[in-house]
Amino acid sequence: MSRPRIVTLAFAVILAAALATLGCSSRKQVQTETPPAPPPPTETADTTPPPPPPSTSETTEPTETASGLQDAFFDYDEAAIRSDARAALEANGRYLERNAGRNIIVEGHCDERGSVEYNLALGERRARAAKDFLVSYGIAANRMTTISYGKERPFAQGSSEEAWAQNRRAHFVSK
Amino acid sequence: MIAILALFPSTPARTQTEVETEISAKGNVKSPLLLARFRGGSGAESFANGARDVARHDFELSGVFSVHDVEALEGKLQPDPAQQGTVRVEGIVETSGSGLRFTGTVYDVGTGEQVFQRLYPFARTELRSTMHRFNDDVLEALTGDRGIAETKIAFVRHSGKFKEVWISDYDGENARQLTHDRSIALSPAWAPWGTEVAFTTYKRGNPDLYLFDFSRGASFPFSTRPGLNTAPVYSPDGKWIACTLTRDGNAEIYLISRDAQTARRLTRNQRIDSSPSFSPTGRELVFTSDRSGSPQVYVMDTEGSNQRLLTLEGKYNDSPQWSPKGDKIVYASRHDAIFDVIVMDANGRNPVQITFQAGHNENPRWSADGRKIYFSSSRSGRRQLYMMNTDGSDVTQLTRGEESFNPATGPRSRRRVPTAKAAGSG
Repeated sequence: MSRPRIVTLAFAVILAAALATLGCSSRKQVQTETPPAPPPPTETADTTPPPPPPSTSETTEPTETASGLQDAFFDYDEAAIRSDARAALEANGRYLERNAGRNIIVEGHCDERGSVEYNLALGERRARAAKDFLVSYGIAANRMTTISYGKERPFAQGSSEEAWAQNRRAHFVSK
Repeated sequence: MIAILALFPSTPARTQTEVETEISAKGNVKSPLLLARFRGGSGAESFANGARDVARHDFELSGVFSVHDVEALEGKLQPDPAQQGTVRVEGIVETSGSGLRFTGTVYDVGTGEQVFQRLYPFARTELRSTMHRFNDDVLEALTGDRGIAETKIAFVRHSGKFKEVWISDYDGENARQLTHDRSIALSPAWAPWGTEVAFTTYKRGNPDLYLFDFSRGASFPFSTRPGLNTAPVYSPDGKWIACTLTRDGNAEIYLISRDAQTARRLTRNQRIDSSPSFSPTGRELVFTSDRSGSPQVYVMDTEGSNQRLLTLEGKYNDSPQWSPKGDKIVYASRHDAIFDVIVMDANGRNPVQITFQAGHNENPRWSADGRKIYFSSSRSGRRQLYMMNTDGSDVTQLTRGEESFNPATGPRSRRRVPTAKAAGSG
């Protein structure tokens, strides 16, 4: 079951274009709701190019949308910041500098593999790793809180490597 | 004397006859049970058939018997030494006032002697629970170790965008929704007295620990510290709940007294420590830690001392649970990109895989009598609950339809709450 999503018109247009490019129009509806370009898992952290900016225009609460904030993706069973995640987090750092009044929640998410309990702990590590990166970047710690959803709120449905890569993320929501 | 010795070497003999057992090549031990067609008194014929269906289901699921169908006994049972070790079960359902009554009788076929008989008055709506009690009584009479047909299980069911805690009979029947948080509820665990379930819920945003009190039909916050409040498990005496908190920055295992007055931190490192499970003595905890770089099963004293690695095989081992008799630990292991259930000795030796090549098999939990292991599996698509014997035989699917996972097995008896003042506040 996917949780309800609000897909903005702009995002839908981008998504449609991306899907046409990728030739994924035969995907099931539930899968087309996911951002179009899952970043590949990195084998060597410093050779992976940054992914295209993942859409953050979908959240449970449309009023919480922070469209200027990018997701940071992780490798399997890891909470280390990848180079592509570093680029995303630095962009988020710039955004938070420009929007000094904005406070955020850092959500940690995992793919579906492994136990509920272990993934909750892993998601917490990911959220805190992303927050710690932003603190090092210069963002005040008291502007950010963390929460782990483990594997309980996947962004992409399915059991493919693509879906798993999408779901291992730190996701940013405005308070 | 009755001796299903290979199965229950230490249980006291309860009767005067001898019941031998077959030992199959797989090491699985079952006693033949001849289940007679139940007789129905006038007006109770359909109940006789219904009662027998439940009895057959229970005896099969017990893991103790191989059930064979026979006609009802005519006259007196003649001893048949060739069938030493075989038991025979006869039943009759009759009307009794406005209700019904069931009489169950068990014979040792080898000697021809009656080894158990009991009368069960019951209301028409109590057919299943009555036969479950009969099954557990028969197991107790024959083996000294009561069955689990009367126990309940709790689990998580994923419906729409919500995950709620449900409970059902031990076999998945009579499932009903326990929580109505309209949020994410996870990881239920039974109090040893059987009328309370601890679980994690996001109903107030943060993953908090709540206690659901059956007598009040409501849940109450237990630990709402910032960060994770997850993976609860009660100590055998019910005075403590071990759980995972992240108040210190990463997942650490804590003991919190059930009156919520005392919290004691047990693990201290920069990696994940989670999923505690008590030994039956309550003196040790088995748990998951990725302090070595990947999740493995560790053990420690309940003071947090003497922490050591238990699992010697496998790169990814999680969700350990100590067996009720204390001799084994079950856990889930990731290998070749899938999860399977493993049983090992409590000292970490002799790990044996008991699920095979059929989706992800996770969340293993011993039944209260230690004869069965419940688990979740994706072998038929979305996760569902299953139970099996401890050697992996007799896999039985318990739930269907909406996704179900996180099984928690209830205790055999409903006991008193340990301390009078210990209400679920906090």
